[in-house]
Amino acid sequence: MRLAVLGLLGAVSVLAQDVPLDPRSSISINFAKDSPVAVLNVATGESRATARGAALVLDLHMSLTLRNLSASRIHGVTLRVVAQEVTLGGKGSVAYPSLNVGPGEAFPVRIDMQLVRPTQAAAGPLVEVNLDGVLFQDLSFYGPDRLNSRRTMTAWEMEAQRDREHFKRVLAQNGADGLRHELMESLARQAERPQLDVRVARGGPAVSSAAAGAERTEQFAFLKFPDAPVEPVEGWAQLAGNEVRAPRIEVLNKSSKTIKYVELGWLVSDQKGQQYMAASLPAADPALYLPPGRTARVLQETALRFSRSGQPVSIQGMTGFVSEVEFADGKVWVPNRQNLENALLLKVLPPSNEEQRLSDLYRTKGIGALIEELKKF
Amino acid sequence: MKHPDGATLALHAGGDLGPIARWRTGRHLAKCGDCRDEVAAFRGVRAILPELAETPEISWNRLAAEMKANIRLGLAAGECVRTGQTPWRETPLFTRARAMVAFASVMVLLVAGMVLEHPGPGAPRYDGVVVQTTANGIQVREGGRALRLLHSGAQNVQYSVGAQGSMRARYVDPETGYVTINNVYAD
Repeated sequence: MRLAVLGLLGAVSVLAQDVPLDPRSSISINFAKDSPVAVLNVATGESRATARGAALVLDLHMSLTLRNLSASRIHGVTLRVVAQEVTLGGKGSVAYPSLNVGPGEAFPVRIDMQLVRPTQAAAGPLVEVNLDGVLFQDLSFYGPDRLNSRRTMTAWEMEAQRDREHFKRVLAQNGADGLRHELMESLARQAERPQLDVRVARGGPAVSSAAAGAERTEQFAFLKFPDAPVEPVEGWAQLAGNEVRAPRIEVLNKSSKTIKYVELGWLVSDQKGQQYMAASLPAADPALYLPPGRTARVLQETALRFSRSGQPVSIQGMTGFVSEVEFADGKVWVPNRQNLENALLLKVLPPSNEEQRLSDLYRTKGIGALIEELKKF
Repeated sequence: MKHPDGATLALHAGGDLGPIARWRTGRHLAKCGDCRDEVAAFRGVRAILPELAETPEISWNRLAAEMKANIRLGLAAGECVRTGQTPWRETPLFTRARAMVAFASVMVLLVAGMVLEHPGPGAPRYDGVVVQTTANGIQVREGGRALRLLHSGAQNVQYSVGAQGSMRARYVDPETGYVTINNVYAD
């Protein structure tokens, strides 16, 4: 009996363990010596290690103040976050697009993360943060680019330029009231946009649940944009209940330039015909080389499982469209605003980074602040 | 009315019941003449014990046999006066086994409560490297290990998924005012 009581007290003390962590020894920040941004200050919030059941949860919070050391305006920064010991190859990044930081100016960024591990922390830093890339106003780039930040941030910048131009045009044609109306519509779309919970497993398991039903091969339908350099030809995925796996789409380069990256948007529809943005479908081959007039296959060996409010969503149909193309010369194509409006994609797709930023600015500071912001570009 | 069983009455007669059982039996005896008589009979048996103790060359085995016989007699008498009524309690309220079961139940309750209060991942089923949303962030997980990027306090978080095994959460940081995009990658 006494032993049982002692055991219970021991279990209580282990489960309730909650100890502060020293973030300076837990997080290592490494920027190269020639980096165009420097870390001015690191402020660490309350970082703690908490035992939960059999796992140890490490909460790490930090705010960095970075300074632009270059002679150009910075429009985007991506930081790479690696916890090699924790995620065995998995990694994260935190990106800050839609920046407009002049030479010598400082800007704050925040990183909040949690590590979950089954054992006590080992000695040494738990997380390493380093610079993956910096995008400048002229679309030049600095950084090791391990996460393809150059292409990603360039595409974001193209979308930002597109949407800023759109709002500037609305302001010029319809005045402040017209712009206000446009922003109200954008905020309504963002609030009403149907979203699914998606779980992605690489090389995911085949459907084994009886509830998922029999697996079948489902063909993609396509939305085609007249000015897209790439056209989807045909595509399939394996579909069973709420799980879709192994999507593959054949695309044709109809431009006059060689292409080295293609990404498609992937919509799914449920039994009621409601469409959702499921995922982006990038080309798997990092060495893709697609000359004009040739075809290539975009495929991924992953499984996606869809649910909403905890309930599986049975997928009935799939639609694809070209969402991003990178040419061999590094230039990037994204759909124009007209393409998205004509295909009614604006209601299904998330807003661009810039549209989200500008609409948030309007929501929090009003139309005057938004007009002033648009004048800066 | 439920009557205490014979053993309980015999123990009560000897003052050997625990405090709660003694109080409950006493309450019953105050209202039940039959059981009072039975207790009186047991006390009568006890009354002769001192005399027996003073008797030289006493045969303890014989005495024990007589006591058993008297108790059985008392129980039989009790059964005679108790017509069609169920025993008040077959066994004492507090036994060692019951105490152990109660203690084990309390332990299970405490541990379950603490696990629910701190829902750690424990030892989840291994299903490869998975990226998914969590209550206030996104994570890449493999077995019991995970890296989560959090967006606590952010509004209008836009999630997007890369079919190659990545997930993105985009929001306007309420403190810095900058669009912040957290990404986790399975590869």
